[in-house]
Amino acid sequence: MHVGKRRSWQLSESEAISEGDYWNRRKFLKAVGLGTGSLAGIPNLIGATAGFPTTRNPKYSGEGLDVTDYDLVSGYNNFYEFSYDKDGPAKLANKGWKTEPWTLEVGGLVDNPLKLDVNDLIKRVGGIEQRVYRFRCVEAWSMVIPWDGFQLSKLLQLASPKSGAKFVKFTTFFDPKVAPGQRGGSIDWPYVEALTLAEAMNELTLLATGIFGKPMPNQNGAPIRLVVPWKYGFKSIKSIVRIDLVDTKPVNTWQALQPSEYGFYANVNPKVDHPRWSQGSERVIGGGFFSGRKDTLMFNGYEEQVAGLYDGLDLRRNY
Amino acid sequence: MSRISGFWRSPWLLYAALCSPLVLAGAAVLRQEIGYLADPAKYLLEFLGKAAVVLLVVTLCITPVRQLFPKWELSKALVFRRRQIGVSVFVYALLHFALYLPYVGGWQGVVEEWSKLFILSGLLALALLLVLAGTSNNFSVKRMGGKRWKRLHKLTYLVVALVIYHQFAQEKTGYRETLLYFWPLFLLEGIRLFRWAKAGVTRPA
Repeated sequence: MHVGKRRSWQLSESEAISEGDYWNRRKFLKAVGLGTGSLAGIPNLIGATAGFPTTRNPKYSGEGLDVTDYDLVSGYNNFYEFSYDKDGPAKLANKGWKTEPWTLEVGGLVDNPLKLDVNDLIKRVGGIEQRVYRFRCVEAWSMVIPWDGFQLSKLLQLASPKSGAKFVKFTTFFDPKVAPGQRGGSIDWPYVEALTLAEAMNELTLLATGIFGKPMPNQNGAPIRLVVPWKYGFKSIKSIVRIDLVDTKPVNTWQALQPSEYGFYANVNPKVDHPRWSQGSERVIGGGFFSGRKDTLMFNGYEEQVAGLYDGLDLRRNY
Repeated sequence: MSRISGFWRSPWLLYAALCSPLVLAGAAVLRQEIGYLADPAKYLLEFLGKAAVVLLVVTLCITPVRQLFPKWELSKALVFRRRQIGVSVFVYALLHFALYLPYVGGWQGVVEEWSKLFILSGLLALALLLVLAGTSNNFSVKRMGGKRWKRLHKLTYLVVALVIYHQFAQEKTGYRETLLYFWPLFLLEGIRLFRWAKAGVTRPA
């Protein structure tokens, strides 16, 4: 969805969505009598956040960025709850996993604990908007994604954190019956992630309910997920069921697995390598065989907005 | 070398099997698999690396399988072709490295990353495989003499150790995939050790 005049940089975005193909495919499915989402790899269109209009926030229009193809954003996913393979979640997360209705609970050190349906929540915070953010995975690949959602700070203001609250802890759904990955492996399910309260209140931090103006596909973390664009992708926890305000620093899932490789902060930082590979550069998803590598930016290019959060902190030790 | 009969005698069966990873990679490209579209260099890099790993495991399983099933025609045929299979490990490892170059952004990227144990283990394994593949011909066996040649080719076990680490280090969590590729080798070597310990005699060559 475009706001205002169409500028040169918007070209790639309209190519990316390929709206025509998308809806034709849906019509085809209807015609042959299949429900959407019943076929492997078809994004679930009956998401919990369907029907909410979204407009692009001009402040985060993604000027100068090439938006990644919708098919790649929704087809190349890390979602270990469903599969260890990148193309697995698009199939397995659409096999009977219900993301509607979906209740989100906010508790812990807050004055107003909340427990409400995601659709009601969107109404409470005044709707959704679109922001184009860079997305950098710790595996040294990156995408550019138009997210639809709202600032996490709006929800936190509704809940009103108590003065003792210092961290915000997020918890993913837990349902091993529909999520095969949760039936075993070395990860202690459910997946948890956390931010400092200041990080959570930062204007960049989003709760996303969609991408490309469409409801969030299941494999991307339907119906509601975190987006923290200056941190490695694994911080942006998917399919959230609980948010708790706490006073002690939680141990996040990856941190618990490999504390020497994944720290609490996980800020994108080209100067601090992963022990096994360089973080100085990244592969752009959809860039093609000879695309080479792009230099990774400090805080993924959001230094201006977030560097102040880490004043006086040794980022080499607090990775 | 005992005679191999009938079906397994033809080398073309082996050549077809050794080329199959290339065919499968080509099929994935033609199918435009999402992993390929997302990052072609990475996809092919991993695909051919896995082919090298599988073939390495096959090469190493040949002798213990032969010891367990000395009369099985296939195991005889495989022993006869072991050197060729071993060379194919090197070929796939070399292709894997060739694809690592565009993936990492050319030689400059290699210079940046080579000292990481993950990369170093792969580079060392490739260097050793070069030595082994370079001497995997009748001329070398004759020139070196059987005993010395065999001793040199015991380096294969060092290659295996390096490759196990290399495979393990690319897993983000656990050792699931490493086990998936190496379990036949672990199992067969386990049986071999067990039988050797039980018999209390010198290990058969």
